[in-house]
Amino acid sequence: MAGRAVQPGRLRRRLTVAFVAVAGFSMAALATGSYAMVSRARFADSLSRAATDVRYQLVLAHQFLPLDQTRTANLLDSFEGSGRHVVLVTAQSVTASNVAFRAEPGDRTRSLAATGQVAFERTGRQLVVGGQIPGSTDQLYVVYAEERIYEDLAQLRTAMLASWAAAVLLAALVGRALARRTLEPVGRASEAAHAIAEGLLATRLPVRNRDEFGAWAESFNRMAEALEAKIAALASAQARERRFTADVAHELRTPVTALVAAASMLREHLQALPDTARRPAEIVVSDVVRLRHLVDELLEISRLDAGQELVSARPTELVALLRAIVASRGWQAQAKVEGEAVTVHTDPRRLERVLANLVANAVEHGGAGVHVRVGPGPSVQVSDRGPGIPAEHLPRLFERFYKSDPARGGSGSGLGLAIALENARLLQADLRVESEVGVGTRFQLTLPVTYRLPDGEATVGSAGHGEAHDTFEEGPS
Amino acid sequence: MEGRVLIVEDDASIREVIALGLTRAGLRVSTATNGTDALAAWRAHDYDLVVLDVMLPGRDGLEVCQEIRRTSQQPILMVTALSDTIDVVVGLEAGADDYLRKPFEMPELVARVRALLRRGSAPAEQEIVAVGELRLDPLRFTAHKSGRELVLTATEFRLLLELARRPGLVFTREVLLERVWNYPFLGDSRLVDVAVQRLRAKVEDDPASPRLIRTVRGAGYKLAL
Repeated sequence: MAGRAVQPGRLRRRLTVAFVAVAGFSMAALATGSYAMVSRARFADSLSRAATDVRYQLVLAHQFLPLDQTRTANLLDSFEGSGRHVVLVTAQSVTASNVAFRAEPGDRTRSLAATGQVAFERTGRQLVVGGQIPGSTDQLYVVYAEERIYEDLAQLRTAMLASWAAAVLLAALVGRALARRTLEPVGRASEAAHAIAEGLLATRLPVRNRDEFGAWAESFNRMAEALEAKIAALASAQARERRFTADVAHELRTPVTALVAAASMLREHLQALPDTARRPAEIVVSDVVRLRHLVDELLEISRLDAGQELVSARPTELVALLRAIVASRGWQAQAKVEGEAVTVHTDPRRLERVLANLVANAVEHGGAGVHVRVGPGPSVQVSDRGPGIPAEHLPRLFERFYKSDPARGGSGSGLGLAIALENARLLQADLRVESEVGVGTRFQLTLPVTYRLPDGEATVGSAGHGEAHDTFEEGPS
Repeated sequence: MEGRVLIVEDDASIREVIALGLTRAGLRVSTATNGTDALAAWRAHDYDLVVLDVMLPGRDGLEVCQEIRRTSQQPILMVTALSDTIDVVVGLEAGADDYLRKPFEMPELVARVRALLRRGSAPAEQEIVAVGELRLDPLRFTAHKSGRELVLTATEFRLLLELARRPGLVFTREVLLERVWNYPFLGDSRLVDVAVQRLRAKVEDDPASPRLIRTVRGAGYKLAL
């Protein structure tokens, strides 16, 4: 299943990050905008108050004209006494009422003031506003401290930053929860799909809400139902087919029994028959053998289908078993067995069925060059140098009655490889085939590694089949 | 070869060909087509052996086998179309001495029948074998344990005799198949297991924990000294 490793929770994290980014960005924009508005309003307000005040102060300053040294001192004292720090700018000098607030207005301010308007400039954290004293060329500037405004704005900045941080944190929490809630159906669907893939076809998704996920869950469930129905239909069709096979095999068995027994008697008297009857009788005798073989294989495969076959395991040496198979069937000329002795704990009769069918298939299609090799480990390779099997036929090779070349009849029943595969499954062995046209075909059987238990019994992984002999034994004796 | 054989088989062709084959082998043959007729024929005549099909209409082969075993220890050869090994085992437990699977070739059936008849009539040795409480008389085909007579079939007797001839020695299932059943039988050693089980039921004080006929795991059986 794990073709690509998908990191779980990655989409959730991405959704959360996006949520936080949007929230953070809009909060920042809002805060910056508000701050700009507040600060502009505060400075404008401060300036307009100062301007109103200055106009009045200039009229008051007019009372001190003409400004000689004494009057200048009086003027400065008077303003300083009223709590205003002023700067008097004459053609000769710039005099401040308080040295701590000595601001020197710039040229632009002075020339603007010279036209009779109220002029201002901001230096440091001070607002300097002034104009020409009516009836003179001297200018008077009042210096207003704007420290408070700066302090207030600094406070505002701090507050806004803090609330921005709090908002981002909140957004992260809410976003995470939201993403989790949103993606929960996705996770459930993924688990459900996995369960279906594992074979739990009854798996369904809960339909909670009438939203997109609800609709999705509904269509997922419909898909699962369709799949379940389809598979059930296929399974019952297969069961019918298998029952039919079993019934046919059993029905054939009685006439075949009579035929086999009769033919075996006929065989002993072939020479006594008249010439005209001898050859047909020979054909009957030899084809009864084929018929018997076919019925036997049909019965075997229906027994395997029924799944009630017992496995009776015992230590089995592969090379010796293969040599015995080859020798007992007279294949010494066509098939060579090699490899080092390997002993496995398995059912020798079933293993013989598998190996004999593989070698028979190789001898039939591969001619003389059949090579049987044991190893490495508990595995057997049966290779032939026959015509090979085209790739498109390979997946169906183990099907019943499947012939890759219908024109070539062959003497086999067409069940040999299917039986080999079923028996291999029973032994929990792995059977695979590879072939190249013009080069040959190679079957590989790999048996499970068996472990010897302390009391002398062995186990094959999680084999569910009891050892048949145990039925008749009374336990450790 | 002398011998009267009862053939019980419902299929006419199979019945006929078996009868033909056994007649050619020099045996005297009677036939029955169902279980009820078979038991009637068995009671009316004196047969040396029964060839019994398992699947019969009415009373089936297992019932017939059990019924015959209640009064007789004559050899019974079960012929079965049943493919499952378990059914074969059930047949053997019902008291059959041997079984033959359908389809079979006539020479094999004849060989099995001959082996069973030989077992019933000509034991291998004449001397009385005594091991512990056991006393076996091959000449009379009788077995006693602590003076009490054991009722054994021919197969069971020969199995016990084989084990008792060399007490303490381990016999593999294959060796027992060859010596007791008279033919080399590759693979299906269940025949031995079932016979041992049946023998224990008759010989052991407590068949659930046998003290006399012991299993040697992974090897075979032996008679404890």
